[in-house]
Amino acid sequence: MRFEMKMPDLATTDSPVRVVRWMAAPGQSVRRGEPLLEVETDKATMDVESVVNGVLTEIVTKLNETASAGELIAVLEVAESAVPVVASTAPASPGASPATAPIAPAPTGKPGGMFARNRQSAQAAAVKIEASGVIPLSVASRTAARRLQESKQTVPHFYLQTSANAEPMIARRAAVAPQKLVWDAFFVLAVAKAIQKFERMAYRFEAEQLVKQDADAVGVAVDIDGELYVVPIAAPAGKTPQQISDELQAAVRGLRDGDPQFKRLRPARVTVSNLGSCNVESFIPIINPPESAILGVGKIMPTPVAKDMSVSVQQRVALTLAVDHRVVSGRYAGDFLSAIVQELELS
Amino acid sequence: MTVATHNIDAGSVAYTPPFLLELYRKMVVIREFEDGVKFLFLEGSMPGTIHQCQGQEATAVGVCAALRGDDFITSTFRGHGHALAKGLTVNELLFELFGASTGCCAGKGGSMHVGNMDKGMVPGIAIVAGGVPLAAGMGLAFKMQKSPQIVACFFGDGAVAEGAFHEGINLAAIWNLPVIFVCENNLYGASTRIDKVMKIPVVAERAKSYGIRGQTVDGNDVLKVYEATLHAADECRRGQGPVLLELLTYRRTGHSRRDPCHYQPKDEREQWAMHDPIDRFGKFLVQRGEIDEAGMQVIRTTVISEFNASVAEARRQPMPTVGDLTTDVFAPAAEDRS
Repeated sequence: MRFEMKMPDLATTDSPVRVVRWMAAPGQSVRRGEPLLEVETDKATMDVESVVNGVLTEIVTKLNETASAGELIAVLEVAESAVPVVASTAPASPGASPATAPIAPAPTGKPGGMFARNRQSAQAAAVKIEASGVIPLSVASRTAARRLQESKQTVPHFYLQTSANAEPMIARRAAVAPQKLVWDAFFVLAVAKAIQKFERMAYRFEAEQLVKQDADAVGVAVDIDGELYVVPIAAPAGKTPQQISDELQAAVRGLRDGDPQFKRLRPARVTVSNLGSCNVESFIPIINPPESAILGVGKIMPTPVAKDMSVSVQQRVALTLAVDHRVVSGRYAGDFLSAIVQELELS
Repeated sequence: MTVATHNIDAGSVAYTPPFLLELYRKMVVIREFEDGVKFLFLEGSMPGTIHQCQGQEATAVGVCAALRGDDFITSTFRGHGHALAKGLTVNELLFELFGASTGCCAGKGGSMHVGNMDKGMVPGIAIVAGGVPLAAGMGLAFKMQKSPQIVACFFGDGAVAEGAFHEGINLAAIWNLPVIFVCENNLYGASTRIDKVMKIPVVAERAKSYGIRGQTVDGNDVLKVYEATLHAADECRRGQGPVLLELLTYRRTGHSRRDPCHYQPKDEREQWAMHDPIDRFGKFLVQRGEIDEAGMQVIRTTVISEFNASVAEARRQPMPTVGDLTTDVFAPAAEDRS
C-alpha cells in the first residue's frame, strides 16, 4: 500500500525544513529506523529515519527544497496494510538503537567524498529553484546577511584608498610554483606583519571600551557557490606565503565539500577580501565584526607611474582599507595601510 | 567519567524470579514505548516535541521498584520512563501524548507533564530543578502528618547547578525530610557536558556540603539502583533522610527529538551502548537461568504488540473540548478534602 511520508516537526521556530540529502533513490528499499534523508532546520542538520519498511517510489521534496512540518515529502510502497507503527524492525537486540548506516552506497575514496556528493546534487537542484523566482537561503547565508547588515548599520566605517607596487610580489610568486601559490597569501602576510607594528588594529570595540581580539588570525573572505565564509589563518606573521596558501586552499576545499568543521565561525583581527580575479579594479568592502578593519584588494594591472619627471608603466594593485572609526583614527589607520604597502613591496 | 563494565550480580540479596523478570519486562516496556513514540513523532501523529530516555531505563525501574505504592515521585520533562515505572499504564501515558481527554492528565499535560497523583507520581515538572524544592515540601508534609511515605525526586545533572537544587536539598537536610534526591547523571545537560559546568567530578559529593549522605551508583545496573534506593528509603522512613543518590547513565537519543545530538562523541556513545541496561540485565537473567533468548524475545514481542494496540486505541480517543478549559484548574482547599 501507498505510504505518504510527511516532514517531521523538527524545527524549533515552526520555520520550513530544508532537504540537504536524500540517502535513497526512488526504487530503493528502505527500512524502518534507517536514515532516509538529511534535513537542515533553523537550528541544526540532522538525519530523518524512515518510519516504515518499504520501497521509496517518489521523492516529492527535492534536494534543497523546503517543506513545513506535516507536508508530504516522499511516497513509499509498504507491504503491510497495517498502520505504520507496526514495529517490524530488524530483530536487533532489545538494546540496539536503530541502524545508522546510510542506505545509499558508502562513499568511496577520499575523505569528504560524501559531503562533495551533497554539494554536487545541491548544485544540480539549484537551477530549478531559481526558475521559481525564489531562492531559499541556507542557514550560513542568512547568518552572513544578518551580520553584514548589522555591520554596515552599526559600525562607523571610514575608507582609505591607496595602491602598491605589485612587481616584487609577482617576482616572488614566479620564483616558486605559481599555480599553487594563491595571491591572498601575500596580502594575509602583509596585514599580519603590519598588525604587529600597529597593535591597536588587533582590538575590537565592545561595551564602550577596546578589547583585544584573542585569536591571532587574519581572515580571508571566500565565496563558496554564493555563500560567504571567512577563513581564519592563525598566527600568520610566522608563516611563509606557501604555508598560508596551502592552509587557505585546504580550507576552501573543506568548505566546498560541505565539511562542517570549516563552517564554524571563528574570529580574526582583520580580513582580506580579494576581487582581483573578477577584474575589479578597486572596491569598498564591509567590515566583518568584531574585526577592526577589512582590506579590499583589486586586480593587479599595468599602471602609469610618474617618477623623476618621467612616466613609466608598473604592475600595481589598488587597496582599500575599511576601518572601524571607534577603534582607530584616520591617521593611525593610514600608517597601518602604509605598513601593509611596505610589506607588499619588499622584494 | 568511566563506563561501568562489571557484570550484574545479585550479591547477597535473595531475589524471586518473578520480581527479576518484572524488572526486565518494565525496562523493555519503557524502551519499546520510547522507540514507538519516536516513530509516531516522525510520522507526524504526535504533536509537540518529546524528550526520551532510551538507555536510562534502569534508573526509573530500579528506583520505583524500591518504593511503596503510596510513596511519591517527582519527575522532569523526560518522564515517560518514570511514569511507566511508577505504575502508569501505556494507555494513559500514550493517550496523554496524543492530547486526548482520556490521558493521565486529561490531555492537558502532554509529554513533559505526565503523572498520576493516585499512583504516586506528581505530573512532570519541566523546569530544570523545579521538582527539588517541591519534593522537599512534600517531604515536610509527610513528616508533619507523621506519615511513613517518602518522596523520590528525579532530576538530571543539569539541575545540580540550579539555585532551586541548593534551596530544596538544604531545606530537606536541615529538617531531616524523607526525600531521596535522585540525580540521573547522563553526562549532558541538553548539549552541555557536565565537566564544562561542574568543577568536581562526582555529583554525590555535593551531599557532604548539606550534611547528608550521598552515594554514586551504576545507573545502568537495575539491581544496584534498586538496592541503593531500598537502603535510602529505609533511612528516610527512620527519619534519617534525606539522601542524595547519583545514578550514572547515558541517554541514547538527543535531548529532544529536534536535537541531532552531534555533541556526543562517537566513541563515547559506542562505549555506553556496550553497557546498555537492558542488555546487561538480560545477560544476568540468562546466566542465572531465569530466562533464555527466546523468552526475552517473547517479552519484547508481547510488549510491542501491546504498544501497537495502545496506539490504535489512542487514535480513537476523544480530544478535550472548550468546556474542559476551566476544569482541573483549581484544587479544592485543604479543609474541603476531609
